[in-house]
Amino acid sequence: MVVERTMIAVLFAPVPTKRRMAVSAPLDTTIEVVTPENIAFDYQLAGPFRRLPAYLIDVAIRLVTFLAIIFLVMMSGMLAGGLFGSGLLPALGAAVLLILYFLQAWFYGVFFEAYFNGRTPGKWICGLRVISDDGHPITGMQALIRNLLRAIDLMPATTLAALDPEDSFFAMLPLMTGMVGLVTMLSTRRLQRLGDLAAGTMVVMDERNWTLPVARVDDLRVPALSSFVPADYRATPTMAKALANYAERRLYLSPPRRREIARHLAVPLLDRFEFRRDVDPDLLLYAIYYRTFLADGVAEAPQLGSLSGFSPLAKDAQFQDATAAHTTAAAATQPSATHTAATQPSADHATALSPEDRS
Amino acid sequence: MNIAKLLEQRRLQWTELERLCGELEVRGRTQQRSAAAVSRFATLYRSACADLALATAYQLPPATVAYLHRLVGRAHNQLYRSGTSTFASWVDIVIRQAPQRIFSDPCVRVAALLFFGLFTLSMLFAWNETLFPQFAETVLGAEHMTMMESSFEEPLDASMDHYLMMSGFYIQHNTGIGLQCFAFGILLIPCLVTLSYNAVVLGASFGYMARDSVAAGDNFFQFVTAHGPFELTAIALSAGAGLRMGLGLFATGGLRRVDSLRLSALKAVPIMAAAVVMFFLAAFTEGFISPSPLPYVVKAAWAILSSGLLMFYFVVLGFPRRGDDAA
Repeated sequence: MVVERTMIAVLFAPVPTKRRMAVSAPLDTTIEVVTPENIAFDYQLAGPFRRLPAYLIDVAIRLVTFLAIIFLVMMSGMLAGGLFGSGLLPALGAAVLLILYFLQAWFYGVFFEAYFNGRTPGKWICGLRVISDDGHPITGMQALIRNLLRAIDLMPATTLAALDPEDSFFAMLPLMTGMVGLVTMLSTRRLQRLGDLAAGTMVVMDERNWTLPVARVDDLRVPALSSFVPADYRATPTMAKALANYAERRLYLSPPRRREIARHLAVPLLDRFEFRRDVDPDLLLYAIYYRTFLADGVAEAPQLGSLSGFSPLAKDAQFQDATAAHTTAAAATQPSATHTAATQPSADHATALSPEDRS
Repeated sequence: MNIAKLLEQRRLQWTELERLCGELEVRGRTQQRSAAAVSRFATLYRSACADLALATAYQLPPATVAYLHRLVGRAHNQLYRSGTSTFASWVDIVIRQAPQRIFSDPCVRVAALLFFGLFTLSMLFAWNETLFPQFAETVLGAEHMTMMESSFEEPLDASMDHYLMMSGFYIQHNTGIGLQCFAFGILLIPCLVTLSYNAVVLGASFGYMARDSVAAGDNFFQFVTAHGPFELTAIALSAGAGLRMGLGLFATGGLRRVDSLRLSALKAVPIMAAAVVMFFLAAFTEGFISPSPLPYVVKAAWAILSSGLLMFYFVVLGFPRRGDDAA
């Protein structure tokens, strides 16, 4: 037990202390929410650099729709003016435009966040969502408060005149620096700006990647090796966690690096299982992972044929291939990079396996 | 234990839950869905919650746990949707809650005192040419003074299209200033600065135009009389709402600072809603009645009527009642 824990610490924590590994402090950008079903689940908070693009998209959408409305009003005004010859309609159009501008400037976010479950179009595109900080969706009142208070979060305002004093057009455009909101966001636990604090809301990542990640074992030597692990071996919870982490991350590591990392855990296990010392450490960990999570554990018969998913015939062919590959040293003919990487240590093992399997 | 088999069993339900989530997200509401589908959704959500709760007991791989977190969060967001406020609730806020709050809130009194006090002082300073000869020019600037004078030289007479457009402009401009003043209130000082600035500049304009030497004064007062009560009160109210919110940061009343801020923001919103309604009324008055060539009696009558309405609103509707939680 102690050996394993220490090894896990070496494997996954930069500082090899047991305490570090045991207490897995959550990242500071996740927030735990307890549902009415009394289940706690995590949200990932969105910081200023995720929220800025969403805001800019919203500003662009507001601008484009407003320009489109101006165009429509002008067109209809021209048509109607041509028909009636009245000066009233352009004025009505201007009044409507001004009121629309006012509503858009202050209530665009309120409307979308209240009626589309905490998402404006910009947030929807960027995968963000506003929720109440107890995890519930926001109410209309919260949406109102947080959007009205954007005026202070965007302060202090400046103009571009400082950059170009000659140009009078740029000098007129107000430039919101957003420093108040940025400072508040960086100094609060939930990355809230002032509007969020007053409304009791927070912005979280609204994940849309919904593929269930299951580490599939496509290496046929893994079940073979796992059948030789003693039947009384049980992975401890921490060991199981370490194995699952390893199996998920090994695809991103180069084969020598995998062996280097896996060796710390695998070498004591090799002694314990009385395996040959030249068994690939990566393959051994993968096999234990397979046995812990994927194989039928107790009910598993020592024969490889009982493993679900492939037949003994295909397995035999695979081993013959592996043997052939080993003897001809033609590593390049192997079907996958994993095979190529682990050929040297495990082919010996596979060769040792093959007579028993044929019987 | 075989995680793969377990996952295969659960996976069917999880994908079904995902599918339902997707439909709910795309269509938004559940109106088109049958009751059975909704209850099926709830069942699947609860079973996913149970799976998440048992994830450590099952020793599920971390990636699967992360997946479950996201799935439960997604379904949670569809099941517990944002409550949308109805029109009736806003009518209740403006008619019943807002006057009660305005009547009982000391922040509103402070803001009103500050605004109307500075306004009166500034008006007196700008009016009295002998004692404070430089005041009006220092505050308003010579350019602004001549512009103001020239714009009120002609007797008031505008056409219908001018009325319409100006109403729109006043709604956009003045309500915007009020809302900004409210938002600035959370930090108190920006709100006080905005309020004082408006009070001083408006007061100086009024005082300057009231001088006997200024010829355009008559037209100016013909213009401002009608909408004055609504607009000036609305500015003071929005600042009062802002101060109420900002005060929550400092006078926490035993709550945590964040909770106190949240509570005071909720208290401030009805006041601000009343101010927005007043800004709109002022804008229509300013757009249609103020610039019209109607006799001054009509405008003055409207000003008196609107002041009376405000008094009724603040005092009669706002007087503290037994058993009312708003006060």
